[in-house]
Amino acid sequence: MAYVRVENAVKYFPREDGSEMLVLDGVSFEAKEFGITCLLGPSGCGKSTLLNIITGLERLEQGRAEVVSNHRESGKEDPRLGYVFQDPRLLNWKRVEDNLIFALKGMGIPREVWDERVEKYLSLVGLIEFRKQYPLYLSGGMRQRVGLARGLVIEPEVLLMDEPYSKLDHLTARKLREDTLEICARLKQTALLVTHDVEEAAFMGDRIVIFSPRPAHIADIFDNPLPPLERDMDDSRFIQFKKKLLQSVMRLIKTEEV
Amino acid sequence: MAKQEKAIAAQSELEAAVSAGVEAIPRRRKSAWTEAIQDVVLRVAGVLALVFVWWILSLIFPATLVPRPMETFGEVAAIVTTGDFFYEMGATLRRVLVGFGIAMVVAIPLGIVMGTLRSLESFFEPPVILGLTMPGLIWAVLMIMFFGLTETSAYAAVAVTICPMLAISIWQGTKSVDKDLIDMSKAFHASPWSKVMDVIIPQLISHILAAIRYGLGLAWKVVVVVEMFGFSNGVGYQVVRGFNIFSMKAVLAWAITFLVVMIIIEFGFIGWLERVVTAWRPKIEAWRR
Repeated sequence: MAYVRVENAVKYFPREDGSEMLVLDGVSFEAKEFGITCLLGPSGCGKSTLLNIITGLERLEQGRAEVVSNHRESGKEDPRLGYVFQDPRLLNWKRVEDNLIFALKGMGIPREVWDERVEKYLSLVGLIEFRKQYPLYLSGGMRQRVGLARGLVIEPEVLLMDEPYSKLDHLTARKLREDTLEICARLKQTALLVTHDVEEAAFMGDRIVIFSPRPAHIADIFDNPLPPLERDMDDSRFIQFKKKLLQSVMRLIKTEEV
Repeated sequence: MAKQEKAIAAQSELEAAVSAGVEAIPRRRKSAWTEAIQDVVLRVAGVLALVFVWWILSLIFPATLVPRPMETFGEVAAIVTTGDFFYEMGATLRRVLVGFGIAMVVAIPLGIVMGTLRSLESFFEPPVILGLTMPGLIWAVLMIMFFGLTETSAYAAVAVTICPMLAISIWQGTKSVDKDLIDMSKAFHASPWSKVMDVIIPQLISHILAAIRYGLGLAWKVVVVVEMFGFSNGVGYQVVRGFNIFSMKAVLAWAITFLVVMIIIEFGFIGWLERVVTAWRPKIEAWRR
């Protein structure tokens, strides 16, 4: 249905002194259709910048980053993208359901389906009985669930998630990862997940794209040998795969330091 | 009498709650009712203390300088029962509200524009600061000279006096708007209208409420001055009339009715508005002592 293709992406940021800093140095990869692709790399390596480029908030100097879809002629209209942020970034003065409607309205989705969509996606994240509640009365984990529902409710071609678990406590994050994985598998959702957590990448990613430190290029690409719902953090096959990722990441950091 | 009994009851309940708190952990919270009663009692006591001071002064000074409180309240009752009150107060209120409305309609977009666009901020800052510095009395004189003794000059004087204050408040508020939420609204392709109405203005609510409070306070002051200049109705006119016949009682009686109306608006209307527009925010009362 839809996937993401990044080809030879090059991006500079202006420095304070006027010179330019190379952020993305020829990044190329393809994200997996109907699955989660993790962008794994150290903090500040340009993973989030790449998400901003895909959403169109920033531009590339060279190369292409595009969402390929057979529903839409490429370049004719914007792809429909759902976004889940690090902080939930909810409109605290709007009820949970109105936060979802804000996204539906923005994306120009017809009013007749709003109610049905809100019900479907709030049920999926397990918050249907809180639809009339205001966000500040919910826990941090629940707010992040609202953020996830808001990203999904527009039925995006690609769901973009920017370290959505990094501000949650360990147990809440773990539960939310499991639920997100299950929901995405059930919806056959194409998704990109930015993270610097190796275990998270091994657990969430059907494909893991490893970024080098800045200026970023792609160091490695791994496909997860385990299907989404058979990943168990205590299972030896999972641990083995995690080790493989960790070795790849550690090699990058060592090279950088020497 | 009933009031005093209630006060005593509230007091003993309070003490009971405090002593219970020493023994029982977690501390028993006072019931909402007890708190509400205590609050009302304190407010009433504050007002009564003022009247008491006034009464003492009236014993010291002759009645032409400080009339007795009871006589003045009698005059207030007379004003209200003859219906003068509704006519005069209506005229004053209309001038305040129209002027205030005009100021809001100008100040909200102006403040938002100044807070978002750097170039327009530089452009509008000097006139807004100058406008703020200009005393309301001078605006009143200027507007009456320009528009004559018409309703328009009253509306204009009120609007021009409070507009800069409102604009500054909203301008500063806009600068503190959460940029992450703006990015979020961009990611979901929110229209410019939706960005302003759903994302920016709700973040300005507390600034707008504060601006309404100060703005109304300023508006009352200016409108009374304008009315003193030669209008034939309004509270300001009645105060001048009282001054001309040197009736301290009349001046005070009008001042009191005016205060009562202001308090009703402040606690009744604005308090209600605040509760309605901040229902989404968990109350901080629990932490306040």
